[in-house]
Formats: sequence, C-alpha cells, structure tokens
Amino acid sequence: MLPPRWRVLPWWLATLACGVVVLFPIYWMVMTAVMPTEDVLSTSPPLVPDFAVASLAAFRTVFSIHPLLAWIANSLGVGLAATVCSLTVATFAGYSLSRWNFRPQQILGALLLFTKLIPATLIIIPLYITFNRFGLLDTYLSLVLAHMTIGVPLATWLMKGFFDRVPREIEQAAMIDGCSHLQALRWVVLPLTLPGLSACTIYLLIVSWSEFIFARTLMRSDAHYMLTVGMQSFVGEHEVDWPGLMAAGTVSLLPVMILFVLLEPFLVSGLTKGALAN
Amino acid sequence: MRQEHMLAYVFLLPAALVVALLIGYPLVRVADISLRQGRMMNFARIDTLPLGFGNYRIVASDPAFWHSVAVSAAYVGIVIGMAFAIGLGTALLLNRRMPGRRILRTLLLIPWAVPGVVASIIFLWMLDGSFGVVNAGLRGIGIAGPAWYVDRSTALVAVTVPAMWKAYPLITLIVLAALQSIPGELYEAARIDGASAWREFRHVTWPGIRGPATLAVMVSALAVFRDVDVIYTATRGGPSRLTETVSLFVYNEGFQYFRMGSAASAGLLMVLAALLASLIALRVIRRESL
Repeated sequence: MLPPRWRVLPWWLATLACGVVVLFPIYWMVMTAVMPTEDVLSTSPPLVPDFAVASLAAFRTVFSIHPLLAWIANSLGVGLAATVCSLTVATFAGYSLSRWNFRPQQILGALLLFTKLIPATLIIIPLYITFNRFGLLDTYLSLVLAHMTIGVPLATWLMKGFFDRVPREIEQAAMIDGCSHLQALRWVVLPLTLPGLSACTIYLLIVSWSEFIFARTLMRSDAHYMLTVGMQSFVGEHEVDWPGLMAAGTVSLLPVMILFVLLEPFLVSGLTKGALAN
Repeated sequence: MRQEHMLAYVFLLPAALVVALLIGYPLVRVADISLRQGRMMNFARIDTLPLGFGNYRIVASDPAFWHSVAVSAAYVGIVIGMAFAIGLGTALLLNRRMPGRRILRTLLLIPWAVPGVVASIIFLWMLDGSFGVVNAGLRGIGIAGPAWYVDRSTALVAVTVPAMWKAYPLITLIVLAALQSIPGELYEAARIDGASAWREFRHVTWPGIRGPATLAVMVSALAVFRDVDVIYTATRGGPSRLTETVSLFVYNEGFQYFRMGSAASAGLLMVLAALLASLIALRVIRRESL
C-alpha cells in the first residue's frame, strides 16, 4: 500500500502516459522537420533522433521553394481583419442578446445557432457564385466576408455569455450617476468583459488561421493562398517533401499553440460553462 | 425607455445585416440553385434554367450519394465513439487532484487547437506506407502495415484518426466541467455505503455527466459531420470515393464536377438531416436535465 501522499501516483502516471500518446504526433512532426533526410526516409526512423545532427535545413528549403512567407502574411492579414469585423459586430449583438429578450433578439439568436448546421461546403456554393458575379474572387475581401459567416455566430453567443455574467445593476448604477447607456457600456461594462473579449479574439484568430474550405475555393492564385491551402497543395505533388511539409506544419502550428495556451484557462472556465448553460 | 428599445435594436442591426446578406441571401440562392434543372457552366446564368425537382431526383437515384451517406455514418460513428471514450477517460483522469494537473490538462487539450489540415498531414506522414512511423513500429513486432490512406480496406479508418484526435478534447473539457460540479458529499455517501468503484461510477458519476456528455457528443458529431478539411487534405474522398462523406460529396459535385444543382440539393438534404438529428438530441438532453 502506498503512503497517502503517493496514492495519486498511478493516476498521475496514467495521465502523463495519455499526454505522451496524444502529443506524439506533434513531436513527430517537429522531429521530422529537424532530422536529416536519411533518418526521415528510413524504414526504421529513430524515435529519439540524434540532436547533434538536427538542423533547420528543411525550414530553409521549404521557405525558398514555396512562397511560405506570403502565405503566412495572407493568413495573418485575413485572420486579423475577419476577427476585428466579427468581434465588432458580435459585441453589439451579444450585448443586445444578453440585456434584452424581445422577438428580434430571440429570432436572431435562434438563426445564429441554426447556422451551426450549415456545412461550409454548401454555403460556399452561393458565396462563390455571388463573389464571382461581383468580381471578388481571389480577393482578400471575399475571404474576410466568408470567415465572418463563421465568426459572427460563434462570437455573438460567446459574448452574450460573457455579458450575462456582468450584473445589470452595474450599468444601471453608472446611468443613475449620469452616464448615457452607450457610455455605461463603453466605460463600465466593456472593461469588465475584457477577459471575455480577449478570449473571443483568440478563438476567432485560431478559427480563421485554421480555416480551409473557403480559402481553398475563393483564393485561386498561388500568391493569394492562405497557409492551410498552401500546405495542402504539397500533398498533391508527386513526391511529397515530408521534412519540408512538416517544417511548414511546425511553423503554422507555432502561433496556434501560443494562442491556445493563452486561451485555455478561459476555455475551461468560460466557454464550457456557457455551453452547459445553453 | 423608448430610447432603450432603440438601442436594443440598433445593436442588433449589424449582426442582422451580416446574417441576412452573408448567410440568409446565400441560403435562398442555394435553395434556388438546387431547383434549377440542367447544367450550366456559366454560373452567372444558372438562374435562367427551368425550375423543378430534377436535382433532388438525380441525387436520390445517385449511388454515389447513398454511398457517401453510408461513409458519413461510419465516419461520424467511429470518430465520435472513439473520441467519447478518450474524452471520458481523460476527463476522469484529470478530475483527480494531483501535482501538475493544470499543465497536464493544457497538454491533453492541445489537439483541439491544431488546424484540421495540419492534423491531417501529420497523420498522412505517420501512416505513410513506406516511411511512416506507425508501420515502422508494426514492422518491429513483425507485422507488415498497409499503405493506410491508399489501401481500399484501411483508407476510411485512416481518415478517422486525425478527426478523432481533434475531436476528443472538447468532450474532455465538457465532461471535466460536469465532473467538477458533482458535489463531493455524493461520493462520500457512496463510500460510506460501501459502493464499489463501478457502482459509484454508475450511480453517482454517470447521472452527473449524462446531460453534458450528450450535449458534447451532439456538438462534436455535428462538427465532424460538416467538416471536410481532414479528409479533403488526405484523400479528397479517394481511393475511388471510398472516403467521400456527404459533406465532401457536396464539395466534389460542386467544385470538381461543376454540378452545382445536385451539390446544392445534397447539401440542403444534409442540413435537413442535421436539423432533425439536433432537434431529437435537444429533446433528449432537455428530458435528462428535468
């Protein structure tokens, strides 16, 4: 029998083992990117590579062959623009949904939930045809608008949840002190939802950075590819450059990982409680 | 007070415009396209075609469509079944007080944030027939692994792996939150009554997480049903349409074969199915929570 302090050890080891298993794919991607090619393309690759021969050669090669920097810039630009637009629209709507419950609020709230049922592969058909008619294909604007069809519904419900946790009395007190409703929202309520706003921003950035099917369909020229589309285009090649592809994957995952570590506490406290309440 | 009401609507306006123009109008358009019979390569002139239910008849009699329905059922079933098992297991593990629990939780949730394309290419590489690390491991114990994504009998299993890897963390998260809201006294009472670990799980833990777990399964299943990133990246539905889910059928019909009409009608049937399934699931969840 283990002493009480140590009784948790088997659980701890089991959890750690799970962690090792589920993170192995990411580890393997990074290892493939830094290992020498003869180790990578071998029938018995070493699980723990020789770090003395590790190099960034695959990164250099993939950056020189493909316009990876341009793809990163595209993903970043579209992601930021779509996030700012979605968040602005969603903050107002989320506040309205949280504070008032008239017919329009109920209808819009339900419609926003309904959009979760629509596959991207369906909505892209009319978007493609309409953008084509207005000559918007292959423009960043078309992709920003397309990303808003995901971002606005997502962020509105998230923001509603965050506003719900700010008691009405706070803004009523501010309004009694002479603030207008808008001022109360701007100077009293918004600062209190700042953690929620940042969580929402990070969530939207991750969604936009990861999005694939809209980017694949709307952005046709190589130079306008988003990073996800660029990486996917490697797969069709006759001989896949695995170290290069894994290097690109590592680069694309890095910002997401940083954002995720920032988002995770909110995910646990905020987003799930919101989900449970609905 | 009138000004109050104004504000309530003014704040709603931008979102209403986005929904109307970017979701509502496209949905009306796509419904219209689904009713335009015949083929038109010039998409701008699709609405000059005659109206009718031709596309729905074509889709309903297309074996490839019904095959994709079966593929979707198998895909969603395998992915969600496995993701639920892993999600429940990891949530139960993380529910223990232990040193470094926070970091372990973060680590176990990471796959959720990995873009579908990246998840897909990682497993495409790991499950590569010649140089994949999985087959290298299998070779070590004397098994010759197949070319997972190319072999007709393993392709569907291969595409479920990255999807399951991305899907389980949301279930972990929601189940863990539910576990932590179960009052500790219930466990103490069970222990005093001398309940076995299984009976404790069956009569204390499970009733506490059943509702949220159903919700997590529903939300994840809808996401997996809609998503095409993982499969498109790895196989585009191949070999010979064996991994083509309904969602990918819609995309391939539209943007590979340029049959916008049948793509639109198959997609709308998909929305209808998803709507029915979620209404049923919501009813179940509501009954649970009463």
